[in-house]
Amino acid sequence: MDRRSWTIDEAEMRHWLQALIDGEMIVVAPVEEDGVVLFRPITSAEQAVVEPSGKTRWSPKEFLFPRSEALYRYRFKGDRVQLEDPPPVGRPQILFGVRSCDSSGLARLDEIFLSGTKDPLYAARRESTTVVSVACSAADAECFCTAVGGSPVGEEGSDFQLVPINDGWMVRVVTDKGNDLVGDTADGWAAASADDLEQTEKIEKHVAEQIERNPVDSQWSKVLEGGFENEAWKRLAEHCLGCSVCAYVCPSCSCFDMNHEANAWCGEQCRSWDACTFAIFTHHASGHNPRSTPQKRYRQRVLHKFAFREDEDEPFRCVGCGRCVALCPAGLDIVDTVTAAVAAIREEGTDAAC
Amino acid sequence: MSELELAGVEGRGATSAPKAWRPHIVALVCNWCSYAGADMAGTTRLQYPANVRMVRFPCTGRMSPLMILRAFEQGADGILVSGCHPGDCHYVQGNLVARRRFTIFRSLLEFLGIDMQRLHFAWVSAAEGHKWATVVEKVTTAVGEAGPLPKFGAPDDWQGLDLPAVEGDGPPEVSSDELAQLRSNIRQAAADLLSSGQVGVVVGYRAASMAHQMAPVTITSAAEAERLEWGSGCVNNLSTYASSALENHERVALVVKTCDLGAVTGLIREGQLSRDRVLLIGVQCSGVSTGSEIAAKCLDCSGTPHPICDLVVTVDGILESPPADAPDGTDALDPRDEQIAHLESLPADERWQYWQRQFARCLRCYACRAACPLCYCSSCVAEKHRPQWISPAIDNRGNSVWNTIRAFHLAGRCSGCDECARACPADIRLDLINRKLALEVERQYGALGLDAEEKTALVDFREDDSEEFIL
Repeated sequence: MDRRSWTIDEAEMRHWLQALIDGEMIVVAPVEEDGVVLFRPITSAEQAVVEPSGKTRWSPKEFLFPRSEALYRYRFKGDRVQLEDPPPVGRPQILFGVRSCDSSGLARLDEIFLSGTKDPLYAARRESTTVVSVACSAADAECFCTAVGGSPVGEEGSDFQLVPINDGWMVRVVTDKGNDLVGDTADGWAAASADDLEQTEKIEKHVAEQIERNPVDSQWSKVLEGGFENEAWKRLAEHCLGCSVCAYVCPSCSCFDMNHEANAWCGEQCRSWDACTFAIFTHHASGHNPRSTPQKRYRQRVLHKFAFREDEDEPFRCVGCGRCVALCPAGLDIVDTVTAAVAAIREEGTDAAC
Repeated sequence: MSELELAGVEGRGATSAPKAWRPHIVALVCNWCSYAGADMAGTTRLQYPANVRMVRFPCTGRMSPLMILRAFEQGADGILVSGCHPGDCHYVQGNLVARRRFTIFRSLLEFLGIDMQRLHFAWVSAAEGHKWATVVEKVTTAVGEAGPLPKFGAPDDWQGLDLPAVEGDGPPEVSSDELAQLRSNIRQAAADLLSSGQVGVVVGYRAASMAHQMAPVTITSAAEAERLEWGSGCVNNLSTYASSALENHERVALVVKTCDLGAVTGLIREGQLSRDRVLLIGVQCSGVSTGSEIAAKCLDCSGTPHPICDLVVTVDGILESPPADAPDGTDALDPRDEQIAHLESLPADERWQYWQRQFARCLRCYACRAACPLCYCSSCVAEKHRPQWISPAIDNRGNSVWNTIRAFHLAGRCSGCDECARACPADIRLDLINRKLALEVERQYGALGLDAEEKTALVDFREDDSEEFIL
């Protein structure tokens, strides 16, 4: 594949975006709604909030893994039951303006839904989705992608990338799918110079400096697993309120539950987001709950992001967007928690092997 | 579930009434009077429209607002609730309690954009067959005029609306020196309480990882008092943590702002907290914020600690008993009332769109419930599924029912601390809904102060409660 790259100004970018909107595909981009920036299908390039930095309130994962979706439906016809498949995935979509952390989040979702037994609904959506990511020229206060192995200019999970340079954009093809997006439009664009490409590295360095977090060490996974029963967890998660803000705004959280909706005439089996921080998530029919306290549930979420990995090369499931830190109503900070847990476990010496 | 088509109610959600559309009305009736009244209408061979489907209950007091919501959510265009006349209740006072509940619930649905042509209440006795027929006729005509229930879902191509800006002075600002003094006084107070054994645990605020952000902290020794902080990031209502802190300790001290006290009183009033087991450290507050702007609830607050606090921390020091002439800090005025009045001045469908757009953002993370000090039920109705009143599917049907019933369960109880709205990641204006209900409860049944002995409005009744809307 040809890794073409260009340098375009804001007007050219908007013009291209409008061409995409006018094309065959649905374009989903960040828009502002009642003061909240969120991904929404757009009808005009003007609506899109594509800035050198700053992110949406929550990740675009709902466009691949909807908050709720029907798996099958049925309808009573006299004394017979008619089963129906869910509606097929509609027009192909472009997720435009996805931050690097969020596109990495999509890659984490792929690991869940596409490895081993593929989830057909997710697979169909992923297949018909093209991701246009946008690199960050500055870190928000909560950002910590570089502390968990990510990068503000990372390309993982994306098909095409925009990098903010010199009040304009350096744009580049990442995959064939991304290549298909530019078409004739690129004929009028100026090819990116070596200097432009170099700027990307400068941005990466600059943002990494802004993020004042110590990196999460890959070896900590084993430490955390070894200290599963450490008393520190109780203290660290003491103020967790047991909501699921963290999981629902997270680009990589993928848990769901089944629910059934029906009336006298028809019904459907539905898959809806769920979260390990809820008490009923692991509540057995017997009444027993293996994760009986908010602390045990919070520990599960933290460990699922930073531990339980098959090998050390596997990326963390946390992509460092920092939304859970910014939005937690109890002010819990997942990186601080992990750091403190590792310190406590090491102090206690339960991890003698590490 | 947005595409779930319900057989028999096709045409629901259409912008213009299809030709074949006829109103679907669900009547919730009490067994002893209205059901018998309808029976009487039948045996008397009275003619009345056949649009009503009846559901029989023992008493209007048994009818939960969830049933009304569920009927709307399942496609009813209108609802009629009917029971015995006041004084005739077969369970003595069921309809009197229900009357208050319906009064407030009705105002809530009206605020959320349900046209009041769709929701009707009537007293029909067993002997009033004629009245039943008349009521059904009236209700059918009204619902017919209102048309099909508007669509649950984010409105397409709706520009949104601008609410009037909120203004107010807020509490007096404190300088950084004064802030340091406050912090030092809080630490001193906490250390004294812990070292003297007056309390076993103190719940206060610590610095969180982001600038100006504060998080709850629980300390059990005087040495840890150094962790306590104070500043504009002290947003949490710490009374949420009172009962968990008391699991291992006899007595807890809570660092409180004046806006937190309503919740403390509410917990005591409702038997969730014993006044003897909680010590309130009221701190002089200069307003809280999560972003750059001071919270709306602070705009009309003086920031002065309320006299019910056991200790008062000001810049000047720690007072064992607050000065008698201290202003109580609570104020009946709220700058957001203008926003509520503005919403109320709009046509119902505008309000419907306003709220549906916000409910479309709801992720059902239940942060509103988790952050609310008065949402203490160990098992929430949102998680009940036999029967399942609230759809767990994260779409506008379930979201609308959830947000409505959450607010209603707090009606007359909500202390206005705005924790739900602060916790909401989708910026749903839950504060406006709560405030609207508080205003309505106050208008109808009087204000509830910080007196834990007083009953909340919806568990009480008076025989002469207003019922102007009841047919």
